[in-house]
Parts: sequence; structure tokens; C-alpha cells
Amino acid sequence: MKLYAYCLVDDLDTLDVQRPGILGADVRALKIEDLSVLVSDYQFDAVPVTRENALDHAAVVRSVLDRTTPLPFRFGTLVTEQQLRNYLSARKPSLQIRLGNVRGCVEMSIKIIWELTQHDKPNPPYAATNQGAGTTFLAEKRREILGDEHRSQAASEISSWLREKVSGLIRDEQVTLRPAEKLVLSAAHLVERAKLHSYKEAVSAARQERPELRFLFSGPWPPYSFANIELEFKTQFGVS
Amino acid sequence: MSTSVDQITVIDEWENSDISLLETLDHVLNRGLVIAGEITISVADIDLIFVGLNVLVSSVETAHEVLRKHQME
Amino acid sequence: MELSPENPLSAEPEIDTSNVEEFVEQLRCVTDTLPSRINIDAQSVEQGLAKLVLTLIEFIRRLLEKQAVRRMEGGDLSPEQIEELGLALMKLEAKLQELKTQFGLADEDLNLDLGPIGRLI
Repeated sequence: MKLYAYCLVDDLDTLDVQRPGILGADVRALKIEDLSVLVSDYQFDAVPVTRENALDHAAVVRSVLDRTTPLPFRFGTLVTEQQLRNYLSARKPSLQIRLGNVRGCVEMSIKIIWELTQHDKPNPPYAATNQGAGTTFLAEKRREILGDEHRSQAASEISSWLREKVSGLIRDEQVTLRPAEKLVLSAAHLVERAKLHSYKEAVSAARQERPELRFLFSGPWPPYSFANIELEFKTQFGVS
Repeated sequence: MSTSVDQITVIDEWENSDISLLETLDHVLNRGLVIAGEITISVADIDLIFVGLNVLVSSVETAHEVLRKHQME
Repeated sequence: MELSPENPLSAEPEIDTSNVEEFVEQLRCVTDTLPSRINIDAQSVEQGLAKLVLTLIEFIRRLLEKQAVRRMEGGDLSPEQIEELGLALMKLEAKLQELKTQFGLADEDLNLDLGPIGRLI
């Protein structure tokens, strides 16, 4: 019998919310040292990615959001109790830092779609002194690459603009830019609960400023995007 | 509605234009704590293990089994 | 989306957008990536390895192209050098295209998701 793990909390002694978990199993809080993991029993070897399971997972994690800020596990976290204990004792310091980082916050999500074609800026053509195949090839690549750079700059500009609109209202952010795609920006913002109202107002106002962009705004979510310990590697080693 | 024969049949519900489900999937499938770099998810009875760089590989036994069968044909 | 006792944080997150279809189309990529990475037959296992190798080569090829364009812009290459460089890169691109076709891989297949770091290409 394995355990399906939903999320990690450090300041919840009892679970009064009896929200059923995957396949209707009872969810309980497994206390390991001073941390608790919300788990339910799961008898099979793997977890199907069904609508029902995904929604159940999400519902269990958010059921504690009123009382605490959990670190959610990724969907499909199936472990033995021993694996869980090993994981927690090995990672405890990092996990406690993470829990501290997200304490009192929720995650808000902003996604932006733009018109790709609008960012195709015509560049002055390359003045080639000969028209060989190789030169023509490179001239065309130059046009593409400069276009890409232009789009990357435009995407960064949108990212900076958004950051500026919510500055002072967010504790942290995770932003993914995809300048070559329609879904150019996907941002997760860590917002303190007390600032949530101001944050929403700021975002609403921002949306009006850029009618050429399409926005999708969702939340509040438990802090899925701020849970992963690997992100520490990213900031520690400056990988970007 | 299923995808081509080379691929696993995807759960039909994903074909829905359910923005709420898609946003939920984006959060629970792509983010969150990962234990030992392993997540066990199954699609159509095949056990799959995500490793490290999000590269999906089939379980070791399954791959060898299939390879053996293929070589016998 | 006002917070109140009737609308606690544990309620289902609200989704607010004026462009549902566009976002649905884009977010589907999240679920689409799952099946396209699933390999169950021997050819696909081989294909998986080819995909990895070709992705890395493609990554390097693009770096080389960018380098070439930068030098072209920088003006430190003679027309003959530009022509030679262009021809070489042209051949490299063609070769990679050939390999992709051989392994039945599309352009979109050549990428690596490095998690929090983003995609390689």
C-alpha cells in the first residue's frame, strides 16, 4: 500500500476538513517530526492522469488554504511512508525555508497572449556584394535572427512592464517568456493575503493599459510554482 | 477521440475546452514538490516515470520487453 | 473576485479572461506534450534517443548560425568568407533535416524541457 501525497504543512495540527482524496480515499495528516504531509492510501502502482484525479488533487491541496499555506506536491506523488520520511529528513532545512517563503501567501497566475505578427519588424536588408547561395542563406538567417531578437526584446519589455505594475505587491515571481509563441508570458506571483485586494486592482488597471494583449488571470492557487526546491539551485547558481 | 496508433490514447476529457481544467492541469502537472525526481503517472496501463529533466521514459522492464519482442519479429 | 466568508481562499480559483478560445488553444499544449512523449515500441525508444541527440545538435547549430550572423553584422568577414560560411551552414541545416526525416521527427519534437530553467530551444 502506497501513499498519495498532496502537500506539506508545518502549522496544522488537525485536519477538520474532510475532503475526500484520489479515488475517494480519506485524507489524513501524517506527522513526520514537526512537519505534516497530507496523504491518502493508494493501492495501485501509478496514478492515471484523469480529470477527476487532477481535480481531486487540486481540491485537497486548496482545502487547507484558509488556515495555512501548504507546499503542494506535484500530481502523481506516490511514495511509501519510508520514502516520505527519508525525503523529509534529508530536505527538512530547505523545506522549512520554502514554507517560510510562502507563509501567508497565495499564488496568482497571469498569462498573456500577443499577436505574433505584430512584432515582425522589417529590418534593412543585408547589402550583399555577391549573390551566392551561401550569402543568400545567411542573409535570410540574419533576417530571422534579428526578428527573433526583436521579439525577445518585446517580450522582455512586457515582462518588465508587468513586474513594475505589481511591484511592492508581490513577494516573489516565476515568469516564463516564450517570444516565439502566442502565449508569450506565463507568470506566477506570490502575493501576501493582506495585499491580495490591492494586487487584483493593480492587475485590472494594468490590463486596460495594453488592449493589444490578451490576459488570462486566475487564482488564488496554493503556491505550486514556489514549492519546488530545485528553484533554489536556479537562484543559487544563477542559472537562467 | 484518440490519437494515432503510435501514441497512447489520451483521456477524452482533455479534448474539452474547459479552461478551468486546463489551468488546473498546468498547475498540478507542471509544478509542485517533486520527491527524488520521480513521479509515477500511468496512461493506459503503462507505468511512466518522469526523471529529472522532465524527459518521459517508459519503465525499464517495459522497454526491454518491447525491444525483445521487436527483435523476434 | 472579492474575498469574503462566502468566497474563501479554499474555494475554486477563479479564471478571468475575455479570450477563452485563444487560451484554451494555447493551454492545450500542456496536455498535448504528455502523449507525444510517450514511447511504447522499440522504434520509439530508438527515436527517443535520436530526439535527444538531434536536439542537442540543433541547439548547437542555432548557436553557430547566430555567431555567423553576428560576425556578418560586425563586418569582419570578407564576402568570400560569408559565402563559405553560408554554404557550410546550409549543408548542416540540410543534413539535420535529413536526419529528422529519417527518424520521423518533426521540428517541434526537437526540444528539451529543463523544468524551472525553461526549454532548451
